[in-house]
Amino acid sequence: MSFELNEKLAARRPPLPTAATVDPVTASIIRGALETACFESCEHLARAASSAIINQSNERNASLIDAHGRLAAVAIGTPHLTFVSQLPIRYGLMMLEEFDWGPGDVFVGNDPDHGGGHLPDYLVYAPAYDDSGELILIQVLQAHQGDTGGKDPGGFTLEATDIFTEGLAIPCLKLLHRGEKRRDVIKLLERNNRFPSFAGDLAAMISGVQRGVTMVEQAIRKWGPNVIKAAINHNIEHTERCLRAEIAEWRDGTYEADVFVDHDTQGLKDVKVHVACTVKGDQLTVDLTGSDDRPELVGVWNTFGNTRSYVMTQVTASVDPSIVKNEGLFNAVDIIVPRNTILQPPPNKPAALGSFHPAVEIIEAVCVALAAVVPARSCPQVYKIGMPNAVIGQDEKGRMWLDQGVDARSMDSSAVQGIDGWGSSCVGLGNLLLAQAEDAESRFPVINLSREMTTDAGGAGQWRGQPGSLNVKKVLQPTSAMAWMVSAEHPLRGLRGGDDAGPYSNRFEVGTEREYKVGLSVYARLPAGAVIAYQHGGGGGFGPPLLRDPEAVKNDVLDEKVSLAAARDKYGVVLTGTLENYDLEVDFAATEALRHAMRAAGTSQAA
Amino acid sequence: MGFRIGIDIGGTFTDFALLESSEVVLHKNLSTPEDRSIGVMRGLEQLARMQDVPLGDFLGKCDAIVHATTIADNTLIEMNGAVTGLITTEGFRDEIEYRRGFKESIWDVRLPPPQEITPRRRRLTVPERILFDGSVYTPLDENAVRECCRRLKKQGVESVAISLIFSFVNPAHETRVAEIVAQEMPGAHLSLSHRVLPRAPEYERTSTTVVDAYVAPRVTSYLERLVDRLKRAGYRNRLLVMQASGGVMTKEYIEGSPVRVLASGPAGGAVGSAHVGVAKGYPNLLCVDMGGTSYDISLVMNGAAPAETGWNMHHRYLVGVPMVKVETLGAGGGSICRVNNGALTVGPASAGAEPGPICYGRGGSEPTVTDALLMLGILSADSPFAGGSFSLKPEGVEAAFRRIGAEMGYGPEQAAFDSWRIVNANMTQAVRRTTAGKGIDPKDMVMLAFGGNGPVFAAVQAEDLGIERVLVPKASPAFSALGTLAARLSIDEERSYIAPADTLDTGRLRSLWSELDRRARGFFADAGISPEKVTAQYQMKMRYPGQNWSLTFDAAINSGLGDLAFVDEIVTGSRAAESFNQRHMEEYGHIREGETPEVTGVRLVAYVEMPAPAVRRGFSAPKVAARATRTRRANLGRGFEETAVFRSSELRPGHEIVGPAIIEETFTTIVIYPGWRAHVDDAGDYELTRTG
Repeated sequence: MSFELNEKLAARRPPLPTAATVDPVTASIIRGALETACFESCEHLARAASSAIINQSNERNASLIDAHGRLAAVAIGTPHLTFVSQLPIRYGLMMLEEFDWGPGDVFVGNDPDHGGGHLPDYLVYAPAYDDSGELILIQVLQAHQGDTGGKDPGGFTLEATDIFTEGLAIPCLKLLHRGEKRRDVIKLLERNNRFPSFAGDLAAMISGVQRGVTMVEQAIRKWGPNVIKAAINHNIEHTERCLRAEIAEWRDGTYEADVFVDHDTQGLKDVKVHVACTVKGDQLTVDLTGSDDRPELVGVWNTFGNTRSYVMTQVTASVDPSIVKNEGLFNAVDIIVPRNTILQPPPNKPAALGSFHPAVEIIEAVCVALAAVVPARSCPQVYKIGMPNAVIGQDEKGRMWLDQGVDARSMDSSAVQGIDGWGSSCVGLGNLLLAQAEDAESRFPVINLSREMTTDAGGAGQWRGQPGSLNVKKVLQPTSAMAWMVSAEHPLRGLRGGDDAGPYSNRFEVGTEREYKVGLSVYARLPAGAVIAYQHGGGGGFGPPLLRDPEAVKNDVLDEKVSLAAARDKYGVVLTGTLENYDLEVDFAATEALRHAMRAAGTSQAA
Repeated sequence: MGFRIGIDIGGTFTDFALLESSEVVLHKNLSTPEDRSIGVMRGLEQLARMQDVPLGDFLGKCDAIVHATTIADNTLIEMNGAVTGLITTEGFRDEIEYRRGFKESIWDVRLPPPQEITPRRRRLTVPERILFDGSVYTPLDENAVRECCRRLKKQGVESVAISLIFSFVNPAHETRVAEIVAQEMPGAHLSLSHRVLPRAPEYERTSTTVVDAYVAPRVTSYLERLVDRLKRAGYRNRLLVMQASGGVMTKEYIEGSPVRVLASGPAGGAVGSAHVGVAKGYPNLLCVDMGGTSYDISLVMNGAAPAETGWNMHHRYLVGVPMVKVETLGAGGGSICRVNNGALTVGPASAGAEPGPICYGRGGSEPTVTDALLMLGILSADSPFAGGSFSLKPEGVEAAFRRIGAEMGYGPEQAAFDSWRIVNANMTQAVRRTTAGKGIDPKDMVMLAFGGNGPVFAAVQAEDLGIERVLVPKASPAFSALGTLAARLSIDEERSYIAPADTLDTGRLRSLWSELDRRARGFFADAGISPEKVTAQYQMKMRYPGQNWSLTFDAAINSGLGDLAFVDEIVTGSRAAESFNQRHMEEYGHIREGETPEVTGVRLVAYVEMPAPAVRRGFSAPKVAARATRTRRANLGRGFEETAVFRSSELRPGHEIVGPAIIEETFTTIVIYPGWRAHVDDAGDYELTRTG
C-alpha cells in the first residue's frame, strides 16, 4: 500500500515460461476459446444477478489473467472496466503463498490502494490449474455493486476525505477454500452492505467465475498447458506488434493537452489533467506529469489502476478496433503517472467519485492530444456527467429503494471525422443498457416527465455532436437526492475546430418558489411532488462548423437538433421556407456570402 | 387427403416441400426478387407438372399452402419500407434513437448509426400521460394529435406507428390517437404499440411498433398479391404464414402484426429440426444451417424450438415479438479469407452469390471458404455443383491462396487448410456462445446439419464440441420449407401486468387471460378451427425485484380455450411463487429465499397440431459396407490422401461408410471425417457417429 507497491504492480511482466511453440492459427483458436470462457462467465452473471446495474445496465466485465498477472483475454463490459482488471490480481498473486492459493479457491478484491478501481467495483476471481497443479490462468469477473457499506448508500460520499468513509476496502479475501464456501467471510461481507440484493449478486459472481474456470481447465486439458502458455505469449506479442505498427504510422512529436474538471466536491476550482503524448517511431509515451497535486482537493482522486485503464481506453479507441485486447497493449505504451497527484494519490484517499472525474478527463486529454495525429479515430470515450440524479427513499416496510437515475438519455456522444454524434453516448458505453420509465415507475414512486434532446445542446462542427437531453423527473414521495455537478464551465471538448459540447446543468424543485440550480453538489431532501431537471451536455463537434454541408444543416433544423438561429450564427447557413411547413431550402448564394463574411470577421473558426 | 405445400423464399432459391399423405417431394427454383410471388407460382407449376395435373386441378386439391417469407427481412436489409412516422408521449420523442444506449461495437469509434426509419422530424409527440396503474395523469390533447397529422402528411408519411407510455396498461389514449389519425390521414397504415407488443418497457415496444409500421405495407401487399395469384390459379383455402415464433397462422392474423413474419425462414428450419429430431428419438438438438453467407445456430430442447422475447436485435432494430432464437454468424461458403494485421481471418465479409467465390468463375477475385474446399479436394471441379446447375472452376483459386500463404509464410494448400480450420473454430465458438449462460453442455446434444454447407463441416464441429452423433436429413437443402409443414397453427401473445406475487388481483388476471382467449378464439374460428380443438397454454412471466429478464412458466395447459378455473388456484396460496422458484432453480441454479418475486405479464400460447410429414426412423435394412467407385485427393484434416467419394444415388438404407469419405448429394456435400462413420437409415437420411 504505497507508491512502491503501485510500481511493482504495474511493472512489465515476462512471457510465461514454455519451450512449446504454437502456430498463429492455433493461437487464435485458443484465444477464441478463452474469450468464450469469459463470455460464458459474464452471461452467467448477467442472468443470475439480482441488481439492475449488473443484470440490466450490464456494468460487468470478464477477463482472464495469466499466471504472471498479464491480461490474456477479455469479453463484454466496457473498456474502462476491462483495463483495470490486472492489478488487483497481481496483488493477489504476490500473496499466493501467504494466502495459500489452491484449486477450487475463489477470491474477492476491491481496494484502490491494492491495484483496484473504486470500491463498488468488486473483482471476484478464481485460479485455473493444469493437471499437474501448475497455475495457468485466473478467471476474473468485475461488477459494480450497489453499495459498499460506507457512510452513504451507494458508496459515493461527497465530502469523503478518506477511503474508510466510503466503505469496506478488500485487498484480497478468500471466499471459497478448495471449493468450500467460507460462510463466516461471506456473512461479514453481506453484513457490511445495505443492499438486500448484494448476497445474490455475490453468489452470482462466484458461480460465474467457477463456470469460467471449468471451461478454461477444459481448454488447458484439450491443448495442454504448454500450448496454452505459448498461445497466450504469442497473442500478447502479436497485439504489441500490431499496436506498435499503428503508432509507427503516426507523425513523431509530442502532443499536449490540458483538460479541467470544474471543481472538486467542495468548490476548489479547475482541477487539471495534463497530458503529453510523445510518438517516437513505434513507441507511444503518455506522460501525465503536470496534473493537479493540490493535497486539499476533495473527491477528485483517481486510483492508480484506474488511471492506467483510462489511458488505455482512449489509446485503443484511436487504433484499429480489430486489434486483440490483451497485455500487449500495455507493453506497447509507456504510461507515466506522477505520484502524489490526483492520478496517483497517496494511500487512503477516497476513490468513489475520482473514478468519474478526473478519470474521464484523462481520456479526454489523451483524445484531444492524439487528435493531432489520428483525426479519423478521435472520439472521446467519456461520460462527463458528475453523477446522475440518484433518488433514494424508503418503502412502507422501511426498506431502502434507490432509483439510480441511469435513465435513457443523450450525453457526450461526440462526432468523429465523417460521422455525426449519434445515439445516446460513446461506443465505449454501448454495452450498458439505460433504465426505462415503465420499469422504474412500476417500482419507484417517480414519474419520468421528459428526456428529449435539447435543440442546440451539442457542439457544432463539420460533423456535429449529438445534442444532450433534458431529463425531468417528479418524485411522488419525500426522498433524498444527491448530485455533484461538473462539466458546466469546462464542457466536453470539440476537436479539430469543432465546438465544445453544451454545458451540464441541474435544477431541483423546478416550478416552485424554492427552485434552485445545483451549482456544486447537494444532498437534498425533496418533498413529495418535487421536480428535478438534469440537462446533459451533448457531444463535441469535429471540424469547423463553417465547413458543414449546408444540406446537413438543413436536415438538422428539420430534426430540431439545430435551431434556425444556430444554423445562421454557428454554421453560416441561410435557409428559406419554414420549419412549420417542412419546406426549408438552402439559399446557397446567401450561405456562401454569410460564410465568407463570418470567416473574414473571425466569428467562427475557419479551416 | 389432399396436398399440403411448404414454401420458403430465400435470397437465391425458393424451396418447396410437397406433402401427399406422408410422402415428401422437394423442389427448388430461383427466386424472383422483383416480385417474389412470380417465383412461387413458377415452382407450383413445376410441382403440378411433376404430379401430371394442370395447375388449377393441383391447387384445387391443396388443403394448405404454408409460406415462410423473407419479405420483411429484405425490407429491413434494403431499408426500402414505407415512409413512416411515429406519434409518442410528450417527453419521449428520442427513445428510438437512444436505443437504451446500445451500440453494436464498444471498440469502433467509427461505427455508423443505423439508418433511421423515423428521423426526428417524423417523430412527433402529444401531451398525454398514463401511469403504471392505468390512471390518467395528463389527459390526451386531441388538437396536438391533429397537428401531428398535419405535419406527418406534409412529409408524405404512409405508415404511422403510435406508441404511448403505459398504453399496454390502459390503451384508451392510444386508441383515440389512432381514431384521429385514421380520420386525418385516410389510407395510412397504423401500427399501435399496445397491439403489436403489449408490454414494458417503452424502447422495446416502440421499436417493435416502428418496425411493424415500416414493413407492414410491403408485407401486406405482397401477401395480397400472392393470395390473388393463388386464388386465380385455383387455390381455394387459406394461405398460412410462418411466424418468427415457429408457429403458422392465417394471413389475416399476420396482417394485424406483420412484424411477426421476420426471420420466419430460419424459424421453419428450427421447427423442421424439432419435428425430425423427435421422430428419430433425439429431442435435444443443436441445429446448424450453413449456407452461402451465414451460419445459423438454433437449439431444440425437449423436442421443441422455444421462442424467446428478450433482447432480439434484428437488422439493427430491436424486435420484441416471440422469435425462435437463431444466432447468426457471418460464416458461409462465400465468406472471404484475408490476412489482417498478420492474422488470417475468415468472414464476416462475403462474396455473396454474385460475384461469388473465385471458383464460380463469375469474376470473384478474393478466396472464399468454397474456394478453400475446392483446394482441399472436399469439393471437386469434376462433380456437378448446386444440383448440377454449374461446375466449379479451379482457375485462379490456387494463386489466391498462394498470396495468402506468402503473407503467412507457407504454401497455398496450408493457407486453404488454415482457412478451413479458422472457419471451423469460429463456428464452434459461436455454438458455445449460443449455449452460454443456459447451462447446456453441447456434449449432451445431437447435431442436426442442413443448408448447402452445413454437412460439410458438421462432424468437425461435433468433435470439437464433444458431440457424438450428427444427423443429416436427405431433405436438408430444402429443410426450412419442410419445416413449415411441421409447424403448428399458433398464436403466441401476452399482456403486461406488474405486481408482487403476494398481492395478485384475480379479477385482473382473469380479464387479461380472457382477452387473450377471445382473440385466439376469433382467429382460430376464421381458420375454421373450433375452440375445443385448440390447446391452450396459459403462462406467467415472473422475476425477482430488480431483475431485468423474466422467466416464463406454464400456469395451466388446457385442451380447449375458455376454461380459466386455474386462475383462482394460482392466486390462492403461493403457487405462482413456487412455480417461479422452481424455474429459477432450473435456469440459474439458485433461488432467493425470503424474497417475493413479481409477476410481469401473462401469456397465452394457443395452438393446434397440423398433419405433418411422417418421418421414418430406425435401421431395419441390413448393414452393408458401401463400396466407393471413385476416389480423389483430399485433405480432411490430417493431410492429403486418396479419399473415397460416393454419389447419393449409389446409396441405400443400410449402407455404412467409414471415414475418411465424401458423399455428394444433389444440393450438398456430406463429409465423413476420419474417426467418423455414416449410416443410411430407413428414410435415406444419414446418421454420423464417432467410431472411437
